[in-house]
Amino acid sequence: MQLLHALTIRDLKLRYQGSIFGWAWSMLRPLALGAILSFALGKVLGTGIGAVFLLCGLFPWFWFQGSVQVSTTTFVGNGGLLKKVRFPREVLPVSVVLGQTLQFALALPVLAAFVIGAGDNPAWSWLPGIPLLFAVQLALILGLSLLFASVTVFFRDLEHLVEVGLTLVFYGTPIIYDIDRIPDGYAWMIWLNPLAPLMEGWRDVLLRGELPGANLAASAGISAVFVTLGWFTFRRLEDSFADVV
Amino acid sequence: MSSEPAVAPVALRLHSVSKRYHLQQGPMEVKTALLHPLRFLGRQHARAPFWAVRDVTLDVGHGEFFSIIGANGSGKSTLLRLMAGLSRPTTGAIEAAGRISTLLELGSGFHPQASGRDNAILNGLLIGMTRGQVEALLPGIVAFAGLQEFIDQPMRTYSSGMYVRLGFAIAAHMDPEILLVDEVLAVGDLRFQEKCYDHIASLQARGVTIVMVSHDLAAVERFSTRAALMERGRIVAIGDPHQIVAQHIERLAETSPEIQRAIEEAIEEHPEEFARALEQAPEETRAAFQQAYAERQRLETGTDPEDVE
Repeated sequence: MQLLHALTIRDLKLRYQGSIFGWAWSMLRPLALGAILSFALGKVLGTGIGAVFLLCGLFPWFWFQGSVQVSTTTFVGNGGLLKKVRFPREVLPVSVVLGQTLQFALALPVLAAFVIGAGDNPAWSWLPGIPLLFAVQLALILGLSLLFASVTVFFRDLEHLVEVGLTLVFYGTPIIYDIDRIPDGYAWMIWLNPLAPLMEGWRDVLLRGELPGANLAASAGISAVFVTLGWFTFRRLEDSFADVV
Repeated sequence: MSSEPAVAPVALRLHSVSKRYHLQQGPMEVKTALLHPLRFLGRQHARAPFWAVRDVTLDVGHGEFFSIIGANGSGKSTLLRLMAGLSRPTTGAIEAAGRISTLLELGSGFHPQASGRDNAILNGLLIGMTRGQVEALLPGIVAFAGLQEFIDQPMRTYSSGMYVRLGFAIAAHMDPEILLVDEVLAVGDLRFQEKCYDHIASLQARGVTIVMVSHDLAAVERFSTRAALMERGRIVAIGDPHQIVAQHIERLAETSPEIQRAIEEAIEEHPEEFARALEQAPEETRAAFQQAYAERQRLETGTDPEDVE
């Protein structure tokens, strides 16, 4: 636990060089993308998709994307360490995920401010809704990160597949559009996507002030599957890391 | 100092331990698996097995200083890695009675952008200390490394000597019961090496069990209570360090015309001096030849075969 803590803090410190504005930088990407997309989608294409709508999808997405992308190479990138020192291997990807999670947690008040600033009052559903979605998404991220990080040790090019996959998932998930806009014939595609109910869930809570019943249940089930899969894959493979890496 | 098996209680027991690696051409890829599933599966079967360690049975007693020597690629480092639990034996079993600490690499995981202090704390946690322990030991570590003014600077500003000193200072403050040491002490200047060996000797005096892999034959003879010689994954001789070192040199001379030639040339050129050197300091003389040999090998092959990833 102490090792995990120290590693997480070090990574965050390094990324922002101890700057108190560091966390502000972490929000620049979703904010900038939200601004330009609300112009491109909302104004140019005239879809009526607004900035606050976009931010409700982009903040959770960048948490997901940053964690999975970076943690995929943690074992491969620390080969020397795995070969020379015995320590709980899971701290490498998990510390990356925790760092990203902390950033998201710090960004949540900003997101809430945007929602409130747009004229929506905070709803009671936020109280149970936000922590629940937070926990479900964290579990999903941890599971996928452990899974990809472990398998990448054996299949080096998985790193690139993950990168491409994340881009596809970004556009294939109702993040920058509403699920209702999907033409009837394609709806099934969305429900094959483990992230879809989660992203809908965030908007249920933040924008509509509802508790995301079905969406939350679906994403909790998916997260449970992936966190189990990730953990057992990691456990099964970790003994061979030092031999292969 | 005997060739008999250890009489003291056993600290580390290896029972017919073997380790097999598969030599493969290039890394596995999802691409190959998907595009050429047959070739992929075929290659999985065709991978050549390579036994890095074969059927090693060994007891190391409490408080022993046990050295493992052998030519490059003989399996020493793999054996040490197995003892450390960093890698699983393919067959056989390893039992350890006591907390194992490893000194396989100094300053593992140091990050150049982070300060010496942050790196020291993280490194201590990595090698198994608690946060409280590291923080209590930190002033001592900093003083030992002689880095008082620099400890809050990022490590990219350190010289390589400062890097190694900090790494060793942390390792030196571990409180191991069984210490596994790889070639790490062969770095730094002579005075630093001496400091390292002094520290190892003080651990030995405290009753710590030490297993060392080294090419530094003089050090092996000076410190070890027992030594083993490895060749192609097997332990071929075990016993008194002086005898084992001598045997190693002999076998090197047998198997390597180069070292044989080097010794003959030396005798031809300076018969008296060489005889005197052998008489006065047989260990150092032999070690010098061994080192010259290892150096030449390294120059020829470019690298130590065991380090190839």
